[in-house]
Amino acid sequence: MLTTAPRLRIRRPSPTTAEYTVTTLPPQTLPLRLLWLLLLFLRIFLSLVTLLIIYARWVQERSSFGAAPTPFSPLSLPPLLSLDRIIFLLDTFQDTPSGKLLASIAASVTLPVLVPVAGAVFYALSLRVHKEESLLVLRGLGVQTSESPATYLASAATRFIPTEKIQDILVNEAFRGFEVRYYLVVVVEGEEDVVVVFPGLLPKRKIVETVWRGVRECLYEGRGEDNRVMANEK
Amino acid sequence: MSASLAPECNEVKERYDTCFLKWYSEKYLRGAEKDNKECAGLFNEYQKCLSLALKDRGIDKLLDEAREDNKENDVRLTAPRITLYAPLLDRDPRHLRRWLHHRALGPARGLVVLTVIFITIFVPVALLARGETRLHDGLMRVFWPTDIRRSDRAGVVVGWRNSTLDVFVVTILEYVDAHNVEFHLKSGTFFRSGPHSPNRIYDLCGHSSMHVLGVANVASQTEVDPSWVCAKTSANSQYPRIACAKASSVQLILYDRPHPKGMQYISLNPIALALGDKGSFPDDVTSGEDDSAEAKHAAANKENRRKLMEKLKQHSIIKRVPSARDKALPKIVNQVNWSWELEQVLQQNVGRLGPRPKRGLSVSERVVESATTMRNYVLVQLWTLLSVYLFPIVQQAFILVLFFHRVLAEILLIILEFRAKPGYAALKDISATAQQIEIRLQQFCYWPMQYVTLRQRKANWASVTTSHPDYIRFYNSLWLVANDVIIGMAMGSYIIEHKEWVADQIRDLLRVYTVEALQSGISWLMGWPAGLKLNGELAAFLGDLFLWVIDYWSSCIEALSPALPHIIWFVGFSSFAGASMPIAMFSDLLSVLTVHIYSFYLASARIYHWQLTILRSLFHLFRGKKHNVLRNRIDSCDYDLDQLLVGTILFTLLFFLLPTVMVFYLNFAIARMIIISMKAGFDTLLSCLNHFPLFALMLRLKDPSRLPGGIRFELRDTHAYKLSDANDKNFNEPPTSIIYLKCIPLPFRAMFHQYFQLAHRIRKHYLSPRVLLCLITGQFVPPINRKNLYSLQYSMLPAKRATMWEMWRAVNTEIDFPQKKPFQLPNIPQLQNGGKRPAGFGRARSYA
Repeated sequence: MLTTAPRLRIRRPSPTTAEYTVTTLPPQTLPLRLLWLLLLFLRIFLSLVTLLIIYARWVQERSSFGAAPTPFSPLSLPPLLSLDRIIFLLDTFQDTPSGKLLASIAASVTLPVLVPVAGAVFYALSLRVHKEESLLVLRGLGVQTSESPATYLASAATRFIPTEKIQDILVNEAFRGFEVRYYLVVVVEGEEDVVVVFPGLLPKRKIVETVWRGVRECLYEGRGEDNRVMANEK
Repeated sequence: MSASLAPECNEVKERYDTCFLKWYSEKYLRGAEKDNKECAGLFNEYQKCLSLALKDRGIDKLLDEAREDNKENDVRLTAPRITLYAPLLDRDPRHLRRWLHHRALGPARGLVVLTVIFITIFVPVALLARGETRLHDGLMRVFWPTDIRRSDRAGVVVGWRNSTLDVFVVTILEYVDAHNVEFHLKSGTFFRSGPHSPNRIYDLCGHSSMHVLGVANVASQTEVDPSWVCAKTSANSQYPRIACAKASSVQLILYDRPHPKGMQYISLNPIALALGDKGSFPDDVTSGEDDSAEAKHAAANKENRRKLMEKLKQHSIIKRVPSARDKALPKIVNQVNWSWELEQVLQQNVGRLGPRPKRGLSVSERVVESATTMRNYVLVQLWTLLSVYLFPIVQQAFILVLFFHRVLAEILLIILEFRAKPGYAALKDISATAQQIEIRLQQFCYWPMQYVTLRQRKANWASVTTSHPDYIRFYNSLWLVANDVIIGMAMGSYIIEHKEWVADQIRDLLRVYTVEALQSGISWLMGWPAGLKLNGELAAFLGDLFLWVIDYWSSCIEALSPALPHIIWFVGFSSFAGASMPIAMFSDLLSVLTVHIYSFYLASARIYHWQLTILRSLFHLFRGKKHNVLRNRIDSCDYDLDQLLVGTILFTLLFFLLPTVMVFYLNFAIARMIIISMKAGFDTLLSCLNHFPLFALMLRLKDPSRLPGGIRFELRDTHAYKLSDANDKNFNEPPTSIIYLKCIPLPFRAMFHQYFQLAHRIRKHYLSPRVLLCLITGQFVPPINRKNLYSLQYSMLPAKRATMWEMWRAVNTEIDFPQKKPFQLPNIPQLQNGGKRPAGFGRARSYA
């Protein structure tokens, strides 16, 4: 529902620059957008709950050490948008029934379990639903591959290969499990390994071929300024 | 698409070209079709048009001209090949002329016929050899700084022209005439008052002068030079709009100017934090003969991969020659790095272009001027007094003190590195303390050299980026030493204050773990441990032997214990030289105080290994075989009966004694392994204190662009751009893609690269099956090559330290700083046309 089979999106504002993006993000429709929104709220809600549980545990630990927090008198509210206000709100939340429920949960779990579990929950909540990998082709500069990271917290990993270093761009085939996959590789001069484009998604052959044609056209077709030099040399 | 010789044939030619290229790439290259039928009609049409045009233009005249300049005969252009290029030459009349001249063809008709023949037959071949040929593709590349001022005023775009359609914009100068600017750029007026020589700029940016690239915000595009850029900027649009008469499409690449005074820069390759000039960089292949099996395996793997890659590379049909634009990238990176400083210089010196108005100063201005002059004069006199008399004395004294210390350091280093014979262990190889002292001394020897290098940075433009890694290394090592000393002071004062308590603790630890635990373990083994039936007599013999040695050792420790507080006090005192010293000393102390365990391990391992070897050869005897040493194989052998008998009896005896020896061996081997891992822990601590990339980490947090890890590009959406375009029609711009050039900060993984490498090496060495086999068979476990283990420690130091003489010379040579000008003209006359100039102009210029 939330992801599709890898599909290709092309952006080509001018004939010599193109970006090929392979993504598992389905086309945006209204139900899908609503679903995304729901998912976002769910994520925020769950992270809030986890944070509150950790805070409740922190309060318990602190009071067990005998350092009681100074209670705020309800008459003098701390100013809005200050740290004190947030702490005040958190403390008032602790007295509500749901706050008590969270506190009892926090109390029932030992600390060595609680902290890693909370960490794992935060990590799981920050995971991306869909993957996106792209290839940016710039004539005269080179190609750049990029992969979306696993979580929302990190930034995309990119690798830029200057045209000088590109020896060839080709479609190769390989066994993977019981199937044959076609994939696009960039052969880089002076390097031991080839660079696989779309390494995580490995889209199907049709997409790979389209991208291959596009890249060759974008990089090399109708390119002239060097040929004049060569013709003179011969 | 390029134009035909005859403009009226352009359309036909374009259609044919498109058709042909389509056929060529889709059918011919795949081997689907050898004959181009689908484009034949188009080609005939084009041919007719061209032949008509050739007649119209009067080829005869052209031929005459060609005969006249007969002298420049180009021998390289052989006739048939030229003919091959005939269709391509159509684009440029000059080529055609030269071609005609070479062929020396009479009638134009013959030319046309030949052309037809060669086009139909040879064009595919020629294209195959050439790749897709076009004389130029009309792609214009413009690098545009993001922080350039956005206004509607007219101006001249100045920058570097890397090739005709590849320009790098540095700035826009307002209210000046383009041709005037061009003249002044050529004559170097802008750099006349610059603090340093402009040659360095031209050297790094790859041109002999800056260029006028075009104009900004002009009324009509028609009157500018066709290769000039027409930019249109406005205060409310984010991106400039670029047009050029020659360009058919535009790549607009926006870049952020790195701030050279803040030592920001961009680079294609990640910045190197370690000093990478070592020839002796330990590789797994060269790490010695002891792990040759693994090294061979790894090398074979590598070789296989390489062969596979070679095969893959042979699939490339065409070797594409990189164009000038492709090759310009390193140059462009330099130009980006220089961009900020150049912009400053240009903007400050715009005033020089205009005529200077001659106007007398008013009375109040005269008063102000003479007052400033007076103040400046007094300041300058004071400064001269200070710098001429006091400063050199202080400097000389400092240098002498420094040099005296350097001599002491040299003597100590010679002692530490002394080897009785080449290949023997030096003092620094045995003791961690000696090694720590050696590292500190080496750093001390290297600092003056580094400092001198860094000072030379000041004598040049700030945009020269070669010394930035040096800067990071220098301050990283200084900072680490400072940290080390601070931590060490805290630690040292604690140890000295509590020396009795610490000594007691250490004594207890020694007694409990190295004496009592060992004794109880041995007496446990002397009974039947874990229900294992050992040989009682042998176990008692071995156990008694070890217990007796332990008793003797414990009495030694007892004798030592009154001295222990003094030793602890000494360790504590040494930590004022840094926390790494006591750690290294504790590491050494650990090895000294557990010498008995090491010797037990050696003895038991030797006995165990002998027994295993004897058992093996006796087992061969038992089977009627023997090991042939000459051929290194197992041969059959006829033994006599008595030989067999004695051998078998011995085999049985030794076999039954084996478990007893083995448990003792295992006991000591485990103790030894625990000590080794403790020492590894100390070493890790030391390497963290000595070479943690603390400065780099802080820089990464403070200003990521000071640690470049490469570049990346981002394609921007052109929607908003297109919309703003709609409102003025007379600005016809080609299709444009907007690309953002960004710097990738160095990833954290790369900062700790060496640590990862070290961990990998240790893992590979100690967690290999071979080591386990050595441990089981009682062979000596080869220690990891020290060069491998301590490559991290020495990664920040040069492989060969500078000699004393070199240092003396480096410290004493004067760095020729540019002459500072204490006097400035109090004000420089305003431009008549009111040119913009930043405030504080004069002061900013002289300070650099």
